[in-house]
Amino acid sequence: MIYPEPRFLPGGDRFVLIEFGNEMNLELNFMAQGLATAIAEQHTKGVIETAPCFASLLVHYDPDEISFADLNKEMNALIRSLGPSDDIVLDSRLFYLPTMYRDPWTRACVEDYCAKITKKELDPDFVARINGLADAEQLVRVHSGTEYWVASLGFWPGLPFMMALDPRCVITAPKYNPPRTWTPQGTVGMGGASTAIYPVATPGGYQIFGRTPVPIWDTDKRFPVFHDSIVLFRAGDRVKFVPIGKEEFEFVEAKVKEGTYIYNVVEYQKFSVRNYKAWTKLLDTTKRF
Amino acid sequence: MLEVIKPGLETSIQDYPGRIGYWAQGFPPSGPMDSWSFRLANLLVGNQPGAAGLECQFVGPSLRFQRDAVVAVTGADMKPTLDGKPIPMWESVAVKAGQTLALSFVTVGARSYIAVAGSIDTAPSLGSRSTFHKAGVGGIEGHALKAGQVIPVGKGVGKAGRRAKSEARPQISTTKSWIVEVVAGPNDDWIDEAGHKRFLSTDWKLSSKSDRTGFRLEGPDWTFTEKAYNKAPEHGSEPSNIIDQGYPVGAINLAGQTPIILVNDGPSMGGFINPYTVPSAAFWKLGQAKPAETLRFQVVSVDRAQALRHEIDAACAESSIV
Repeated sequence: MIYPEPRFLPGGDRFVLIEFGNEMNLELNFMAQGLATAIAEQHTKGVIETAPCFASLLVHYDPDEISFADLNKEMNALIRSLGPSDDIVLDSRLFYLPTMYRDPWTRACVEDYCAKITKKELDPDFVARINGLADAEQLVRVHSGTEYWVASLGFWPGLPFMMALDPRCVITAPKYNPPRTWTPQGTVGMGGASTAIYPVATPGGYQIFGRTPVPIWDTDKRFPVFHDSIVLFRAGDRVKFVPIGKEEFEFVEAKVKEGTYIYNVVEYQKFSVRNYKAWTKLLDTTKRF
Repeated sequence: MLEVIKPGLETSIQDYPGRIGYWAQGFPPSGPMDSWSFRLANLLVGNQPGAAGLECQFVGPSLRFQRDAVVAVTGADMKPTLDGKPIPMWESVAVKAGQTLALSFVTVGARSYIAVAGSIDTAPSLGSRSTFHKAGVGGIEGHALKAGQVIPVGKGVGKAGRRAKSEARPQISTTKSWIVEVVAGPNDDWIDEAGHKRFLSTDWKLSSKSDRTGFRLEGPDWTFTEKAYNKAPEHGSEPSNIIDQGYPVGAINLAGQTPIILVNDGPSMGGFINPYTVPSAAFWKLGQAKPAETLRFQVVSVDRAQALRHEIDAACAESSIV
């Protein structure tokens, strides 16, 4: 549910978690990102930084500048002044990410897990089956059929947690139990209703079924897109996975290695929650791609 | 310039307050675990209190000075020596070019801090020199010191013989047990009354599987309120699972039944509840606690936690130096 009033939960002496609800839906994340944007625009005194997540916003503040009680008052006033989430308009970049679905690397990773940890159905077949899709090919069609909304970043620096914007492409998947000990860099996978890309090789728990050769993390800042930060995404970005074959994967991989890859980013759009909601109402959500 | 002869167990370059402003991208603050001892070390050698210095964990390094310098060692006692002769801690000491500062096995506490007049001058990454080794960011090449590396030091004129007043220093426990303040929340309403009582009346053992990412605690199981069971499926299947949320630094994160205190290099978000949070004023205690020592938690209000923080900040000032 969406709470009638947001909850202000203390996190020690310098954090407060503002919880808007207790489910995973885009509306709650819009509220969190709307508040984060308003705080940044107003330069609220004493706020050091904020971090949005699916249904909440974590605020890091300086207790020498503002008390916990005053911060809550300020935040409450700000939330009221924002009005309904329909009015939220956010800067939103769109990234086209070439991605090889059902690639050999994630398959080898799953097979390794089956051999060493516990046997399981191959991830693409499993995710297709539990979502009532015909087969793994339809999974690719459905998963790549939508833009994804970057709800938050975390767990690992630069790792995006994303939600499908097109309701016809919403699918869910349980996490691995026990988790994997390794996952290839650039792996695309999902857990719950969230899709993620692994910035580097790390352990993981999402069902995995694709891989992008495009780095989303670059400590050496070899590409202009990393000029402001060593991580590619920020909350409020959108991502479109573009299915490619192995030849194209290797072509892009070579370009990346040479340092000549050109990131495909659209930077002139704003995301209007009102327009988005109006569009979703026009769709026949009983049908899948 | 300092030449690393022996790196020690995990000696890392840190500054205070660390890498701030990147929590939303998943970067932790890093920085010294015991920022109280760290800031005093800097003040002793005439640096800004937050300037880059070294954090040494359990076993200290051996460092050869390539030019004259003034240094100070604070925090845990690792029996510091200069060319084999013991030097005092909590006091600035003059070093001649060619001399070697060596720290040994820790006796009392867990982490020592070394400050050098002029401070360490590596290239900052995302606004900080702090090492975040898990992602290879900051420090030298993103990791703890290695033998043979040369640490650049900026220009600075320190004065030897400056001492930190004993009442201005953290009192590091010699009894192997610690009382650590906690603030209830953000997710304290997921734990039932018996669970809260058990948490606050247990001597939690600090696990050897602890590092700058998280401090694992060994102790009894937790019990939960209805909230942990009657929830939307996207929260996850375990009682301690919650829809991914932002984690405060210091959160006591309940992964299944194992509480993990998320410290300086910890994750920014995840899908487990945080019933309590260790406030910044108690971090020096975590930094000086060794595995197998015990932690007993004591609830304080947000206001009290902020007042304690203020007291430590006041101690980290020139007025504490004689």
